[in-house]
Amino acid sequence: MSTAAVPHADAPSSPGRGVVLEARNIVMRFGGLTAVDDVSFQVHEGEIVGLIGPNGAGKTTFFNCLTGMYKPTSGEVTLGGRALPPRPRAVVTAGMARTFQNIRLFGNMTALENVMVGRYCRTSSMALTSILRGPKFRREERESIDRGRELLRFVGLDDKADHLARNLPYGEQRRLEIARALATEPQVVLLDEPTAGMNPRETEEAMRLIFRIRELGMAVVVIEHDMRFIFTLCDRVLCLVRGALLVEGSPAQVQSDPRVIEAYIGGSEDDDISADELTEEDVEVLHAEGVDVEPSRTSARSENGR
Amino acid sequence: MDQFLQQLVNGLTIGSLYALIAVGYTVVYGIVQLINFAHGEIFMIGAFGALSTYLILFQGQTSLWVLPFLVLGAMAASVGVAVLTERVAYRPLRGAGRLAPLITAIGISVFLQEFVRLFYDKVPGLDFPSAKQKIPFPQIEVVTGPAIELGPVTIQRAAVFTIGCLIMCGAALWWFINRTRTGRGMQAVSQDPDTAKLMGINVDRVIVVAFAVGAALAAIAGVAQGLLNTNINFKMGFIAGLKAFTAAVLGGIGNVWGAILGGLVLGVLETLAVQFLPGGSPWKDVWAFALLILVLVFRPQGLLGAKVVDRA
Amino acid sequence: MSTITSSSTTTGRERLGLRLALAGGALLLVSGLLSWSFEPIFGDISIRLWPVSLQVFAMLIGLTAVALALSPTVLRRALGWVHAGPGLWALGIGATAYTALSLAAIAVEAGGLINANEGAWIALVGALLLLGGGWMVRDRPRAPEAFSAQGPATVEIVTIVAICALALAAAAYALGRDDAWVFVLFLLTLGVIGTALARAEVFEWLGGAAGRHQHVLTLGAFAAAFLFPFTQDGSEINMSIATLVLIFAATAIGLNIVVGLAGLLDLGYIAFLGAGAYVGAIFSGSVSSSIGWTPPFLVTALMGGLFAALLGLIVGSPTLRVSGDYLAIVTLAFGEIFRLAMFNLDGNNGPDLTNGPNGITAIPNLSILGFDFGESHTIAGVELSRAANYYLFMLFITALIVLIFARLNNSRIGRGWVAIREDERAAEAMGVNVFGLKLLAFAGGAFLAGVAGTVKAHYDTSVTPDQYQFLESAFLLAAVVLGGMGTIAGVILGAVVLKLMPEKLRFFSEYRLLLFGLLLVIMMRFRPEGLVANKRRQLELHDDDQDRAAQTDRSPQTKEALQ
Ligand SMILES: Nc1ncnc2c1ncn2[C@@H]1O[C@H](COP(=O)(O)OP(=O)(O)OP(=O)(O)O)[C@@H](O)[C@H]1O
Ligand SMILES: [Mg+2]
Repeated sequence: MSTAAVPHADAPSSPGRGVVLEARNIVMRFGGLTAVDDVSFQVHEGEIVGLIGPNGAGKTTFFNCLTGMYKPTSGEVTLGGRALPPRPRAVVTAGMARTFQNIRLFGNMTALENVMVGRYCRTSSMALTSILRGPKFRREERESIDRGRELLRFVGLDDKADHLARNLPYGEQRRLEIARALATEPQVVLLDEPTAGMNPRETEEAMRLIFRIRELGMAVVVIEHDMRFIFTLCDRVLCLVRGALLVEGSPAQVQSDPRVIEAYIGGSEDDDISADELTEEDVEVLHAEGVDVEPSRTSARSENGR
Repeated sequence: MDQFLQQLVNGLTIGSLYALIAVGYTVVYGIVQLINFAHGEIFMIGAFGALSTYLILFQGQTSLWVLPFLVLGAMAASVGVAVLTERVAYRPLRGAGRLAPLITAIGISVFLQEFVRLFYDKVPGLDFPSAKQKIPFPQIEVVTGPAIELGPVTIQRAAVFTIGCLIMCGAALWWFINRTRTGRGMQAVSQDPDTAKLMGINVDRVIVVAFAVGAALAAIAGVAQGLLNTNINFKMGFIAGLKAFTAAVLGGIGNVWGAILGGLVLGVLETLAVQFLPGGSPWKDVWAFALLILVLVFRPQGLLGAKVVDRA
Repeated sequence: MSTITSSSTTTGRERLGLRLALAGGALLLVSGLLSWSFEPIFGDISIRLWPVSLQVFAMLIGLTAVALALSPTVLRRALGWVHAGPGLWALGIGATAYTALSLAAIAVEAGGLINANEGAWIALVGALLLLGGGWMVRDRPRAPEAFSAQGPATVEIVTIVAICALALAAAAYALGRDDAWVFVLFLLTLGVIGTALARAEVFEWLGGAAGRHQHVLTLGAFAAAFLFPFTQDGSEINMSIATLVLIFAATAIGLNIVVGLAGLLDLGYIAFLGAGAYVGAIFSGSVSSSIGWTPPFLVTALMGGLFAALLGLIVGSPTLRVSGDYLAIVTLAFGEIFRLAMFNLDGNNGPDLTNGPNGITAIPNLSILGFDFGESHTIAGVELSRAANYYLFMLFITALIVLIFARLNNSRIGRGWVAIREDERAAEAMGVNVFGLKLLAFAGGAFLAGVAGTVKAHYDTSVTPDQYQFLESAFLLAAVVLGGMGTIAGVILGAVVLKLMPEKLRFFSEYRLLLFGLLLVIMMRFRPEGLVANKRRQLELHDDDQDRAAQTDRSPQTKEALQ
């Protein structure tokens, strides 16, 4: 509520703050296809980092590597200075949670229950305690419910607590996924296309929500195709092309980088358009065209994107 | 050594049977990702189809020319029932998760067994024996009768028939899959149903064909089993079906040649286990099931399958 | 969509429909007082003004019809919230089926339709009127009151208690019927009234009321079940059926943890019951057991449970690598291995432990703290037979199992299980200990079945391998699926239906497996969520169409475009 207007974020990355998340030389191969090609990056405390790139660039795969859903072919991920084993549960417990590009809520559970599942790794009642309902169990359960409701309020779903997740409209499902991720008490939240399929008003709201998450002291890494969203929101933007990190820098830098635009046109040889003449709108338009240009597997294998 | 050769022949015989049934599991799974639990019953119905044909048309005959008609009768029964179950039970459930079709398949399996047990002798106008006991299967010249002595090895004539059937079916299958439009359509659907649909392949038809092909081979296996065992019963499909499923998984489910290979390997392993593992024949099913578990756990993609990665 | 109007504007056609239905209901009520047959069959339905069996059932249907038909008008204050239209329509269909079947029953038993007397025909006329009236009002919109129907707490509690009492009476009555026709027609009546009330959305209100007074409901249900033996007055047959039902239900609830909550399809679950039963039998002191030691039963029960749990851990361990259909097949294979092993451990093919196919026989009765289960005991003037002793003991165990299920379900563990069932990878990504919880489901479910098995061994007095074949697992699964996965009430209902029917209907028992197979297929096709749908309804079984439709503004295209 307090963030009335969305501030334009052209603040550069703040070197003063410590590094929470670091990935070093992540490589992920599927057979002959290198989906993530030697990507390294750092995320600082309270930072919002954007991850862009054409379809099939390997953004989601990179998230999967960070969260242990995939075991990277090589490379290392550290959170708060400690190496993360490539196991999803260890990653969540260590303090990094995510949302999914194709929403993966627990459809037949209520919104509140979904969030409470996120509390699983922060609670410890086992079977016997649950059956006997000792004081510890009751305290934990109480806390989980309170925290769950608080988070639902945070994302604006407090009136939907008892609705089944699958009955929620699309935009609310996305927000519920975020609440569920926050319930794990992460230091870093990874959001995979949080505004996909949203209308402009909802997108605006999502942007506010992400700022408020940052205010809670968490770092956010967000994948998006919506350039205006990314360039407004992020402190720093990374552009991935064919698995490799093409450009990294402030939104302004990335926005004006000719290589980024070229990547979005899909490697076209057409040099008539100079990057400097392109406005933000154009990038979006180009991007919309680029959606159809899937980098073929062969090209992804033979080139390394630079 | 003679022992070993003898067991090898026995193993290949029983393995051929498994292979013929296993193809049905594999083609259906390859296309609709359904474990057609009732496929064992389709095999059983094939045997009863052959028996019925014999009882109606050829009672008392033993000449070889009867055999093709028995096979045709078996196929008609099996394919008919298989296509019917697909149409009324499985098709409405397409896209309904995985639990519902599996439970449906169990229901069909129980239903078909009981249907045969209760009503086989009650077909109006026909004097069929009751299926509550074992029913003797017709003996046919040339394919049954005194065993063939080949040096130290004794081979049942029906065993030669069984293995011969597998070879012929294998060849026919190869031709069907690689040389006919429908067969190629099947391959396309099993690789990527959505794209296949976009390419104008009639997926419903392909699925029916998959059920029919599997049923036809199971029917042949049913006849072979009848000849080998000299009798049939309504329960014969359950264990045979499970074993054949094991074979299909062992070979790599979805892969037709894998199913055939898996069937042969399972048959041979099973007979060798009876011979060489402690406990002998009472434990042979235990070994088969243990093998099933081991394969599912440690190599679910089977001998010829490729590893599948779960996408996040 | 356009039918959503206020119900205060009842159309003329609807008014006529309601009147017709009312007349039909009244006729059904009256018919009960008339003679239905010239022959004194079915407890003598030929006498006027003395309704029995079929006549009473017709009156029950008639009463329901009258109540529904009057609910929008005369009874508006009390029943205005009922959705009368669809309820009457369902009742009309059911009543017609009921009267037609009654006539058939009379024709068969009394020798031709000629022996049906005026009452039966009037009932048929009433049913047809009800059918016609129901058809006219079937689209009648729901009254606006419905949305805020919440009666005073006392009314709700009294209703719940009354329903428990009614259920007890119905169960006692049904078990007391020796005539298959009467039994079938009684069940049909229950089914018809139940469906009509469900259509009329009475159960939504009841569900709400039950949710608000859950403890009352649970206590009421168990009190009714507890009182059941006292209504049987020493009838050994009925009590033994009831005991079998309870053992079956307790096992099914255990399976429900594995299948309904954790979503792991277990096709070998009967092996755990068998494991417990074998432990119970081997340590029972039976002469055919190879072990002479007989510990106190509570120790044996614990051992049975723990042994089953150990097997559960073994069966569950592949879940680390196997899931879905393959897991189902693994469990099936384990189940078969168990049965074959019990078959072969007879001293000839393996070590002598289980006495092979003959099994362990002559298992003595339970005796706990000096209480001999084999003897009849007289409590409060009512004689409790052997079966009643076991029944009450099993009731206690079932209550424990229900408690465990309910508390686990509503806890961190239960939520973890459901999350795994819904989306295993997502659950893992949210920090749920997937493998641990799956093992816990297997071991916990197995433990409960094992304990039930130790009692079963004593109750059956013999344990043989073929009591524990695959089909029995399928049966348990069917009870879970039929009743409603993940629910307690549903599974108990499913167990009762599946066990009671074949026991009560001899002619039925020959066809029981056939019908069972058919039932599975039909349920999956038309009502995959079971008779009693879960709060987290419809599990993974359902088509996605509905959720798509529910996602109001976002079309499926956008969703698909994202994948
Ligand atoms: N499990 C897998 N097995 C094989 N290939 C995979 C797997 N997961 C991803 N890929 C491939 O890796 C490449 C990168 O995919 P990824 O989903 O990471 O792209 P993305 O940048 O998230 O694209 P989008 O913007 O469309 O979401 C694609 O070519 C994809 O086909
Ligand atoms: Mg992606």
